[in-house]
Amino acid sequence: MASLPKIPEYKAEWAEGEAGRWGIAIDMDLCTGCQACVAACSMENNVPFVGEHDAGYGRQMAWIRVERLWEGEYPEVKATPFQPVMCQQCGAAPCEAVCPVFATVHSQAEQINLQVYNRCVGTRYCANNCPYVARVFNWADYSNYPEPLANQFNPDVTVRRRGVMEKCTFCIQRIHKATDQAKAEGREVRDGEVQPACAQACPADAIVFGRLDDPESKVSKLSKDKRAIKLLEDLGTQPRVTYLKGGYHGNLG
Amino acid sequence: MTDKLSRRDFLKVVGAGAATAAVLTGCGPASRYVTREPYTKMPEYNYNGQSTYFATTCRECAAGCGLIVRTMQGRAIKTEGNPYHPVNLGKTCARGQATLQGLYNPDRLRNPVRNSRGESYQTGEKDWTEINWDTAIEVVAQALKDPAGVQFLLGPAPDHLFDLVREICKTIGAPAPIRFGALGMFEARVTLGEAARAMFGRPDTLFFDLANADLVISFGANFLETWISPVAYTRGYSKMRKQRTRGILVQLEARLSQTAAKADLWHPIKPGSEGLVAAALGKLYAEQKFGIAPAAFEAVDVAAAAEAAGLQLEALENLTALLLDADRPLVIPGGAALAHEHGLEIAKAILALNALLGNLGKPGGVFHTPVSPLGEEYRRPASLREMAELVERMKAGKIKTLFVHGVNPVFELPQALGFQAALEKVPTLISFATFPDETAMLADYILPDHHGLESWGYQRVTDGTGQAMLSGAQPVVAPFYNTKSTVDVLLAAAGLPFKDEVEYLQNQVAPLVEQTGGFYSAADLPSFWALFQQFGGWWKNDVSLSAPNAAGATEKKLNLKAVEASEQHEEFHLLVYPSPILAEAGANKPWLQEIPDPMTTVMWNSWIEINPHTAEELGLHNDDVVRVVSPFGAVEVSVYKYPAIRPDVVAIPFGQGHTAYGRYAEARGINPADLFGPNFNEAGDLAFADLKVRIEKTGKKRELSRLESKLGVYGEGMEEH
Repeated sequence: MASLPKIPEYKAEWAEGEAGRWGIAIDMDLCTGCQACVAACSMENNVPFVGEHDAGYGRQMAWIRVERLWEGEYPEVKATPFQPVMCQQCGAAPCEAVCPVFATVHSQAEQINLQVYNRCVGTRYCANNCPYVARVFNWADYSNYPEPLANQFNPDVTVRRRGVMEKCTFCIQRIHKATDQAKAEGREVRDGEVQPACAQACPADAIVFGRLDDPESKVSKLSKDKRAIKLLEDLGTQPRVTYLKGGYHGNLG
Repeated sequence: MTDKLSRRDFLKVVGAGAATAAVLTGCGPASRYVTREPYTKMPEYNYNGQSTYFATTCRECAAGCGLIVRTMQGRAIKTEGNPYHPVNLGKTCARGQATLQGLYNPDRLRNPVRNSRGESYQTGEKDWTEINWDTAIEVVAQALKDPAGVQFLLGPAPDHLFDLVREICKTIGAPAPIRFGALGMFEARVTLGEAARAMFGRPDTLFFDLANADLVISFGANFLETWISPVAYTRGYSKMRKQRTRGILVQLEARLSQTAAKADLWHPIKPGSEGLVAAALGKLYAEQKFGIAPAAFEAVDVAAAAEAAGLQLEALENLTALLLDADRPLVIPGGAALAHEHGLEIAKAILALNALLGNLGKPGGVFHTPVSPLGEEYRRPASLREMAELVERMKAGKIKTLFVHGVNPVFELPQALGFQAALEKVPTLISFATFPDETAMLADYILPDHHGLESWGYQRVTDGTGQAMLSGAQPVVAPFYNTKSTVDVLLAAAGLPFKDEVEYLQNQVAPLVEQTGGFYSAADLPSFWALFQQFGGWWKNDVSLSAPNAAGATEKKLNLKAVEASEQHEEFHLLVYPSPILAEAGANKPWLQEIPDPMTTVMWNSWIEINPHTAEELGLHNDDVVRVVSPFGAVEVSVYKYPAIRPDVVAIPFGQGHTAYGRYAEARGINPADLFGPNFNEAGDLAFADLKVRIEKTGKKRELSRLESKLGVYGEGMEEH
């Protein structure tokens, strides 16, 4: 009897290795919560604004948000360190397993989590299943800007329509540009050559982007730092974003 | 170039360039008159699919960060930091990122217009008649013929326009131009400058070397938000934290600001007690270190100072221990700390404390900023008292024509100053606004300037970097509308011997060609000019910070006043701070509106921050609308229960509350400047932090849109769920 092909029980079994390819390290000691990353990301990736009413309903479209929580009560009150949260590009992504139309898939080349806009039918299962609340949904055609505001759109990135899910892509258009350039010159991408818009803008240099599969890169060193933590790591999602907690060099004051 | 080359030859040249991915920036001396056209008339040298990058200077505030703007097919599509620029080293803030939404703002002014002011203002309808630029220049030329009646009111940027206007005013014998910006008001820059003059003999803006300090005590300086040069100071903060021994930040202010949120230690001290606290720290430090306190601090009663600040004596002792422990301590005065009736003395106390700590001119200490390479003297923005004098002159009918550029006084000045009412007595108001702001709506003529990204220019960078530099601006796109550079208008109207703005600018930067030690050098002016455009300015390689003169700085007696105890439940100190995201002119950019405030996460509106316990005592909940009443005005605004603010202080951000300024800004939130009265400190800055307000319930509710969930925040909303 011919053996049947092995059918994985759930898609997350297609998880890639522990390492991953591209990653981000964010130093929460340096992040000042200035929101430059949020603005830069929105400008680079044609993220629309939704207006006061829809924003109040939690429909804000930003692909990255800066979290801050309160601890204690006055006068012993403090804000937790600002924490920029974007799609963690999980190695075993919970969102991928639930998409009925394969709109959210894992890319073998970049080893990041993709969203195929023209496959997406807007079930929002993926957003429901994302533990990081990293996904945003186009509840309306928010990109129908009054003229000439649409001139700012980046031609390297699509403009999404109503009913489509979207999220951070690690600025894949920039990754492609740099890898194509490197390939044309017959070399590997240098560390620091690609920067997503958030890391590029960050005035405090809190966001570092690079190759996780290159042990010499800044980001791989940081992600092995003793201060390194991953967000909701217990879920086994293998996030590619590392947060550095506590103080620089480990000394807090 | 295209005249001599055939199209075929030209394409060959372009093809050769593209193989090495050449980027066409600063294409040599001839590039000065290259025009950049929109997509519909794309020039053939603009290679499809390739971006072109231009270096210019950000105009969203006066800090003068360098930008590299990515353009494609004649459109600007992304602003990025200029990695060579000493101020920001490739970084930008949120406002710099959103500058494109100003360029492409749907409500930009597109033509020069004449407006019959009175009617349009009262009915709220525009009665604009388009005019042509020849008529406009004639109007300006006529106005300049009566020099005694001419007054220019300019914003903090750009500097080349200010230089030209100063030149014109000197030539025709008109009063010197006045510069003003709301951020300067909130930073109490005049007070800091005057304190530096009193203590160190030079009134420059001071440079605080955050990067090398190992202990920073900041009296409410919001250097991570809008203070002086936020991108440069954020880099300084980042470096301070990355030192081998991580630097410590202590923030002393009544409200936990975004900057205070990054502090290791935050003490909510009472507004107005900053000087006493500084003096008390000085006394304790000196007594323990030298055994005797210098004249500046000896008179202060430490226990009374702690009491006035609402601190435990122990807290002051702990801070003193930190100071004694530190190798390179630094104390920074923030704007609100100096915006008191005795603000100048507070500033002196803080500078004297720095002198006592011995950090003047040392790494991690206080410096004089370098003199601009154009050798200009220090020129500060106008203080509020000087603005009040301007209003008096307007009321007295001494000003026949008021020119306004780069500032929106009707919005930015406190209403109690009466600027808007005084405009009735000014026969002609000419605005050069790019956007239909409140002042422009009242103008008789609006002669719109290009947007910053369509403009030539330069900006002196006086803060944020230790390198003497001049930041350069060039158009990154061709102007979209029938706007005209204000410099060109004035050159034509005043009949100056310059052909156009570029010739004027080249004349201005010419002395730099001779200077040595620069980032680049060139043999002649055309080559220098090309490099100036390519790199977005000119700067010296070496840091040229100078040490303030410490002699006698701690020996002058200070006249610090005690703080009045505020009565609970009746009156609250009102703390107005510039919104970290919007600042004074960001409200017309929709993405800035939708970026959540870093601390409250509120979007698209104004709010008042009240301590949860105070709110409970007043019976107020989140989103309840309250009426905030000061002796000078009243506003209605929604409550945000802010867990980290003194119970006797309330806070409102400045930046919203426009009545004009385009669809995204208009009729949104409130302007807390309406509450300010005409109270000044000794240096003439507005003593806005002394203001007390009453809070009245209105029974109304207006929901704030915020990113964070309202559920469970202090139990709010849980009862219904």
